[in-house]
Amino acid sequence: MTEAAKARPRRGLTSTFAVLASVGVGILIWQCTIWFTDVPSYVLPAPKAVWTALVDGLARSPTERSSFWFHLIDTLKATVSGFLIGAMLGVVFAACMAESRLIETAALPYVVGLQSLPKVAIAPLMVIWLGYGIESKVAMAAVLTLFPVLINALAGFRSAGRDRLELMAALAASRFQVFRFIKFPGALSMIFTGLNIGIVYAMLGTIVSEFTGAQRGMGVIMTQMQSVSDTAGVFAALVVLACTGYVLISIMRIAQNYVVFWSESTVREVET
Amino acid sequence: MNGPDLKSTMSSNAGSQSAASAALLSVRALEKRYRTKSGEEVQALKQINVDLADGEFVSVLGPSGCGKTTLLKIIVGIVPPSAGTLSLRGAPISGPQAGMGVVFQSSVLLPWWTVLENVLLPIRVLKLDLAANRKKARDLLALVGLKGFENSYPGELSGGMQQRAAIVRGLIHDPGILLMDEPFGALDAMTRERMNVELQRIWLSTAKTVFFITHSVSEAVFLSDRVLVLSARPGTLVDEIKVPFPRPRNIDLMSTAEFGDLTRRLRGALGGGEATHD
Repeated sequence: MTEAAKARPRRGLTSTFAVLASVGVGILIWQCTIWFTDVPSYVLPAPKAVWTALVDGLARSPTERSSFWFHLIDTLKATVSGFLIGAMLGVVFAACMAESRLIETAALPYVVGLQSLPKVAIAPLMVIWLGYGIESKVAMAAVLTLFPVLINALAGFRSAGRDRLELMAALAASRFQVFRFIKFPGALSMIFTGLNIGIVYAMLGTIVSEFTGAQRGMGVIMTQMQSVSDTAGVFAALVVLACTGYVLISIMRIAQNYVVFWSESTVREVET
Repeated sequence: MNGPDLKSTMSSNAGSQSAASAALLSVRALEKRYRTKSGEEVQALKQINVDLADGEFVSVLGPSGCGKTTLLKIIVGIVPPSAGTLSLRGAPISGPQAGMGVVFQSSVLLPWWTVLENVLLPIRVLKLDLAANRKKARDLLALVGLKGFENSYPGELSGGMQQRAAIVRGLIHDPGILLMDEPFGALDAMTRERMNVELQRIWLSTAKTVFFITHSVSEAVFLSDRVLVLSARPGTLVDEIKVPFPRPRNIDLMSTAEFGDLTRRLRGALGGGEATHD
């Protein structure tokens, strides 16, 4: 314990250094490619141009259509609300399927059918049904979140230990009590595995939906930049999306460690 | 010490039909057969008759795989018998009873709850008064030596402490009978001896009837008023001995000649089989 505690800050410093060095080398290679080859700037813009586009896009007021904030806020709204809806439905469907053979059998063709479908392909349909507003984006994000959450939650509800179930059986516990005290908390760790995938998928669904047809969002501004060959702008938008994704994943990690505090895997993830 | 009056309730009415009404729990002509995956029928338990009197500590001793755990699960009501009857205070029963508390081989504490919340599980499930029982849970935890660990999580406790918490959970709803299935089987030898002394102390101060499953001869003799010997499959009761030593018993009892005589007799009844290793 004490040895581990001593070793950790050093390992943290080393890894911070490694990360910075790796990023530095990457940018250097990028810059060298610009210097020593004649790649046109609409194919590969210089790091400086991307940086300028990024600063410019972020410096503008959120009310301006050319501001990253104007679009990012809409993308985030759709991602988060779609994620919440999809996650909730995923857990509820999984619970129904775990508790009832009949529901499970009935749901099976839909689950299998939708699982074999590349789900982003339904984006045009969502636009037809829900229009160019935020609704179709939320729907896409929700659909993409639903499946990983449902599959993982279902596995979690099923994995309730036999000894725990026998303990409850000996007390003549009701099915609801077994679910509430044993199955649900026992599945939380796996539900979070699904949620961690789900949050990434939710953003993916939102962006794809914005490509397909929307009035606002990072996907929209990227399509606009593409049409005027503003490659540096596209790169800058990608940086914004990567950072946003990182923040969302980090929030999920923190939530997981807080909620599933007892889980072995949670503890391990904190340390690495 | 309330040892002497508990001892006076000791009885040896196993198998006698006339005494059934006096028994707290009686098991009559119990059989358990089941089919394996390959389709062959296995007789796990055959013609089991057991009577437990109020306040008695009875152990069932048998080799691994003789059906002792199955017998306990049938009495708990989570495994149905193939034939035979169970009755509690003279009334026939089937299925789980609130009048029984169970301690399993592993502690089965839920890692998402504190020790206090864990031991209150039966109160919640049986929808009893949670507030009133919280005080009782604290008292019982103090009794088993877990004072100060009420708000710890199970993962922070040693194996012996976890099993003590499981015993409190078995006792919290004040069941007439505590059924224990090799509760100390997973503990190391020293912890196990200490837990035996502890369990005797808890039993003496709570005056419960205990039905204790074990494959350790010395544990059975040290703890019990009566020891029933279950044979290898098909499990039948082949012997019963009364343990006359006064309570409270000291761990030094284990090295006396009288203790040795009883364990030797039990080992003989077990056929010198695998249950003799400790």
